[in-house]
Amino acid sequence: MAGEIVSIVGESGSGKTVLGLSLLGLLGSSAQISGSVIVDGVDMIAADTGMTRRVRRRALGAVFQDPMTSLNPTMRVGRQVAESAGTEREALRLLGAVGIRDPARRLRAYPHELSGGLRQRVMIAIALAGNPKLIVADEPTTALDVTVQAQVLDLFRRIREDVGCAIVLITHDLGVASSVADRICVLYAGRVVELGGSRAVLADPAHPYSASLLTSRITLTADRRVELPTIRGEPPDPRSEEDSCSFAPRCPFAEPVCVERRPLLTQVSWRAGASACHFEAGPRTIGTAVTPTWPPQLKPRGAAILEDVVVRFPASRALFGGTGAFEALSGVTLRVGAGESVALVGESGSGKTTLLRTLAGFVQPTSGRVDTGGSMPQMVFQDAGASLTPWLRVGELLEDRVRALPRAERRERLVHVLRRLGLPEEVLGARPSQLSGGQRQRVALARAVIDPPDLLLCDEPISALDASLAASVLNLLGRLRRELGFAMIFVTHDLAAARLVSDRIVVMTEGRIVEEGPTERVVTAPAHDYTRILLESVPEFVA
Amino acid sequence: MIDAVGAAPARKYHLRLAAARRLPGAEQFGLVLMAVLVGLALLAPLIASDPTVAVAGSFAPPSASHPLGTDDIGQDVFARVLYGMRTSLAAAAIVIAFGVVVGGAIGLVAGARGGIVDALLMRLTDAALALPGPVMAIAIVAALGPSLRNTVVAVALVWWPWYARLVRGEVRALAARPHVDAARLSGVSRRRLLLRHLLPGAVPPVIVAASLDVQILVLTLAGLSFLGLGSPPPAPELGAMAARGVDYLFGYPLVPLAPGIAVFLIAVAANLAGDGVRDLFDAQP
Repeated sequence: MAGEIVSIVGESGSGKTVLGLSLLGLLGSSAQISGSVIVDGVDMIAADTGMTRRVRRRALGAVFQDPMTSLNPTMRVGRQVAESAGTEREALRLLGAVGIRDPARRLRAYPHELSGGLRQRVMIAIALAGNPKLIVADEPTTALDVTVQAQVLDLFRRIREDVGCAIVLITHDLGVASSVADRICVLYAGRVVELGGSRAVLADPAHPYSASLLTSRITLTADRRVELPTIRGEPPDPRSEEDSCSFAPRCPFAEPVCVERRPLLTQVSWRAGASACHFEAGPRTIGTAVTPTWPPQLKPRGAAILEDVVVRFPASRALFGGTGAFEALSGVTLRVGAGESVALVGESGSGKTTLLRTLAGFVQPTSGRVDTGGSMPQMVFQDAGASLTPWLRVGELLEDRVRALPRAERRERLVHVLRRLGLPEEVLGARPSQLSGGQRQRVALARAVIDPPDLLLCDEPISALDASLAASVLNLLGRLRRELGFAMIFVTHDLAAARLVSDRIVVMTEGRIVEEGPTERVVTAPAHDYTRILLESVPEFVA
Repeated sequence: MIDAVGAAPARKYHLRLAAARRLPGAEQFGLVLMAVLVGLALLAPLIASDPTVAVAGSFAPPSASHPLGTDDIGQDVFARVLYGMRTSLAAAAIVIAFGVVVGGAIGLVAGARGGIVDALLMRLTDAALALPGPVMAIAIVAALGPSLRNTVVAVALVWWPWYARLVRGEVRALAARPHVDAARLSGVSRRRLLLRHLLPGAVPPVIVAASLDVQILVLTLAGLSFLGLGSPPPAPELGAMAARGVDYLFGYPLVPLAPGIAVFLIAVAANLAGDGVRDLFDAQP
């Protein structure tokens, strides 16, 4: 509908990107498509390429996740905008309209000279060119910092009011959806499972999957004393043609009928909206699901000390004069006690990752003292899959950490750690690519704790994960650190996640620590302005 | 999809032969033809007679016992072509093997160590690359006398730097990936890091480069042999045979054309097969 923001929400593999591409008529010829997608009176599937191109030009705009790859790196952004807008003057107006300050100067910039947020604004300006009736935005804020995300979401709201076009916002984050969408469409395994007004779906979900997504969300108000609720199991292969409810294997309310017949999307009886479930009343009780409390913390150990650490990187040798060295850390002092969990919060460029890599020994400090107590810390990387050597089998990767032990004992350790992480023994013979996303996360964690470290470093381990998987990773980390007693430093840009895993929060910006204190205090009574800005940028959950 | 955040482009590290059936027809044809040619070359002693003895009179026409007839001194052309192919392919294989082993080792060490080691090894590589191949070959052959061995040595000496560069580039790219940091934190030895966590990642591009190199090498070696830089006569070499047969091009076209066509077939087959191998290793769309 014109002037409406519809959000398509789903986990990775739920088909939300495919849906976006079919709206744009950009599905490749290798796809088998049936049904119809009507945009501005034209069926984007049946129409020939010339026709779909005209519709794209006349009525559609698109914004993708990574503005760096969507923009042409060899062309000034002004010309790229003008290509769609027609004239330089219109391009200037559009750049102004998307909130770029000093647009006349930015017109002449190349994409790499702009920040991620500015690049995404340029993409939006291109999407807006020619007054489209519909903008399809696929995960437009996922690659951005929280504060920038908040600004971009604000921009979408403004565009809807000023320009009056409809926006389809594809996201995996219910928080993002709830903060801007009028209507929400929940996708699961390639099918719409719930459709309804944003408020209705969030406050009163009709489908068990929507309800589970809501409860597994990592929020600033979740109970820290217990584990987070998660959705058991993992998403199915959307290609399966079985005539049963695809969510049944993971549904806490599944009954025999759920595997016998696939429920159709039908009108919900007690409010506006539609849901694909055999039952109506069930989901509303899911909120009371009880999760186990944390195990008691045993034998706390490990510690890390950073004293006045400075890390300076030499400036890259630019052709026309360098800009001097870049200081990633300017005098950071941080002490982590035995068994303590510290969350390091900051945005990209704040130095938080450099701090972690200094502790891991990958970066040598320019000055200052780093002490991790002699033993090698372990690390959980942002992309767990990429931290596993792709051509080696899981068994070999895990064994790498215990090669000093005799063979029989190694085997024992492997079996033990797999059991601790809830992995079947078969994964030992698998390569990383043969595992699911959740299994890769667990394997990466298993490698970190097969020989329990004194200090575990976590580099944004959940920032690229779907809500349910993120919650289960946080649960695992919380349980492991209490059972094994190690100290932990958890780097994140997300204060909600930081609050759940840490005893203490440290906020960093521009290579300095600007605030530190007990978790609850920092979240409820932030002392520094920057912490306040970060808190406000957490997508508001309006339910 | 969200999974793609920061992920490296997918690449297959394991070949499955079943995937070969989905290749374009030309590439399948190339793979099959290459297999047939290599098979013929390997089986030459079983199929053909001794290529260096006169088996009939000069310029005997094709017959059942001599499918391509005989040449000016009565040697069996078919046998000479088969043995010539054998020599060509073996020589190409030796040059590639030398390149992969020497160039690969240098590239691996340079890429993994970086810094001064990298700079020194790569300048050495650049220096070797600057040597003009054919001129080197002529110089070496002029110094040591014409023989196939000397030609192969000359070509191998100018060939390895390409592999050194390729492997170094791959290893440097791999070394920046998280799995190498993770392996380092796991406390693996430097040797294990190199051989198990870095080297296998450079294997697919090397195999692809090597399979595409077969064609260029067969042509280069045949060309040098054509110029008289191979073994002296009776030895069966495709280039030399073509060169010697040119005089009879109009009277007995099979004599110079048969070795030429053999070179052509190997080149086409190797090229298509190389493309096929590359596609097999490339990520699925």
